[in-house]
Amino acid sequence: MGQDKIALRTDKLSVGYEKNIIVKEMNLSVKAGSVTSIIGPNGAGKSTFLKTLAGYIEPLGGMVYLDDASLFGMSDHARSLKMSVLMTDKVKVEWMKVFDIASMGRYPYTGSMGVLSEEDIKKTSEVIELVGLSALKERYFNELSDGQKQRVMFARAIIQEPKILVLDEPSSFLDMKYKLEMLSIIRKLSREDGVTVIMTLHELEMARQISDMLICIKDGCIECCGTPEEVFAGDHILKLYEIDRDSEFLPEFLR
Amino acid sequence: MFNKENFKYIVCYIILIAALVVLGLVNLAAGSVDISISDVFAAFSGEGGKSAYIITDIRLPRVFAALLLGGALSVAGFLLQTFFANPIAGPFVLGISSGAKLFVALTMIFLLQYGIQINSFGMITAAFCGSMAAMGIILLMSAKVKSMSILIICGIMIGYICTAVTDFIVTFAEDSNIVNLHYWSLGSFSGITWDNIKVISVIVLVCLVCSFLLSKPISAYQLGEGYAKSMGLNITVFRIELILLSSLMSALVAAFAGPVSFVGIAVPHLVKTLFKSSRPLIVIPGIFLGGGVFCLFADLIARVVFAPLELSISSVTAIMGAPIVIFIMLKERRKAG
Repeated sequence: MGQDKIALRTDKLSVGYEKNIIVKEMNLSVKAGSVTSIIGPNGAGKSTFLKTLAGYIEPLGGMVYLDDASLFGMSDHARSLKMSVLMTDKVKVEWMKVFDIASMGRYPYTGSMGVLSEEDIKKTSEVIELVGLSALKERYFNELSDGQKQRVMFARAIIQEPKILVLDEPSSFLDMKYKLEMLSIIRKLSREDGVTVIMTLHELEMARQISDMLICIKDGCIECCGTPEEVFAGDHILKLYEIDRDSEFLPEFLR
Repeated sequence: MFNKENFKYIVCYIILIAALVVLGLVNLAAGSVDISISDVFAAFSGEGGKSAYIITDIRLPRVFAALLLGGALSVAGFLLQTFFANPIAGPFVLGISSGAKLFVALTMIFLLQYGIQINSFGMITAAFCGSMAAMGIILLMSAKVKSMSILIICGIMIGYICTAVTDFIVTFAEDSNIVNLHYWSLGSFSGITWDNIKVISVIVLVCLVCSFLLSKPISAYQLGEGYAKSMGLNITVFRIELILLSSLMSALVAAFAGPVSFVGIAVPHLVKTLFKSSRPLIVIPGIFLGGGVFCLFADLIARVVFAPLELSISSVTAIMGAPIVIFIMLKERRKAG
């Protein structure tokens, strides 16, 4: 697998809403098949940055490139074949079963009426099995807990068979068991299937374990960017989050 | 698993079609002149005297009108609910029907001054302009206010303003032809001719087929705009398609039947509950049939309960539909709370 191939690249990318620039002129290259996590304090612009990478919001300057093609120049359909997302948007649907929602991931591949082929059904069932939702497959989506819903939307994103998977706070609402399972699935997708994963994470310990590259965003800039070893060296993380070294409940891995 | 599911849907369709046929026949037989079912069948085969005329030229077009317009109104409601991601959006609530009604009244009165009787296409064009104008105002406001409940209240207010202006015009217009306008402005399926039915059925069928062909994008849009976009849907084009289709269908109903309230909200809800699904591919034809059943039933009550006096269709649909809307809102509130 071409380890040095670049899957996603940004060129002087500025993101924000309307005229308010939140993150300025970022240059970033993400290797194909790697796992990249974006960390940083609340309100630093992590989500806005991620939403721009996913094509949700137009950049205020600069550009995002997928395999050297401009993200905002390609059609929605072309993008959907390369990239899928798990966002924090609440999904409100009535009378839709878990299987129906998950199988929406096949959207770019189905015909004009969206009827699932045998293969689409097989792929959907496989991923549902993978994320441990088999028992819930026939349940209605709106009857599930937030954590179960999160897993369904995670499954949907994988079922879209992306080259790049963009995840916004994927571990939110999940309990420990499913957090760990999600990490294993992300690792498997990246190592075995060569999927490039880019996500925002609040859990630093998880980010350190899973990521090949960490991007720290603070006050609208990429404050630092590197391997977990580099980023977690010295006092760096404490400075990033402005935490006191003497803080009473400072977790073990930051001491 | 899929066969069991399909079987359930087929049963639902059979129920809807059976209800449609039975109500259609009852509507033909019942009324200020009671006609037996056997005479109804006789009229179809070209026999029977005076009653045959009542069946074929008065009641049958009316049955078709209730079926086609009721179906169109319900599908329009479903499209608007998809568009606004809100179960109580509908042509009547958002003021779209009232906008159409106002434009039709204005056009009619304007043309009557020159002694011109408005034809079907003129009515539809005027109604379409009116519904697009109301929809335009709603869309302008939706860019400013993010809260759905406030948007819907704005829609209700637009509806009231349009209805008030229409009433004002109708009251002060001095022409014997306005008598018709008065009945129409209350809402009724009466007085629809076979020529009207031809126009209505062509437009309704085209809109229905187009809506059905949008099943796939609608299902993506149900997950929210962001996800729909990420799955490859061109949101801008899709939203324009939804607006045009729902406005055209609402306009058609307003032009021929006047205001018909709450059908657009109640029917999609009832049909989704019946099918226990909201997959557009399955429920869109069901919603159309359900709208037909709902309006046939409402029209039957409007004609029969105080015969020979006739109620306005909107009073009947309001009594049947408004409690359902309250129920939906309470359910939403429970989920939010």
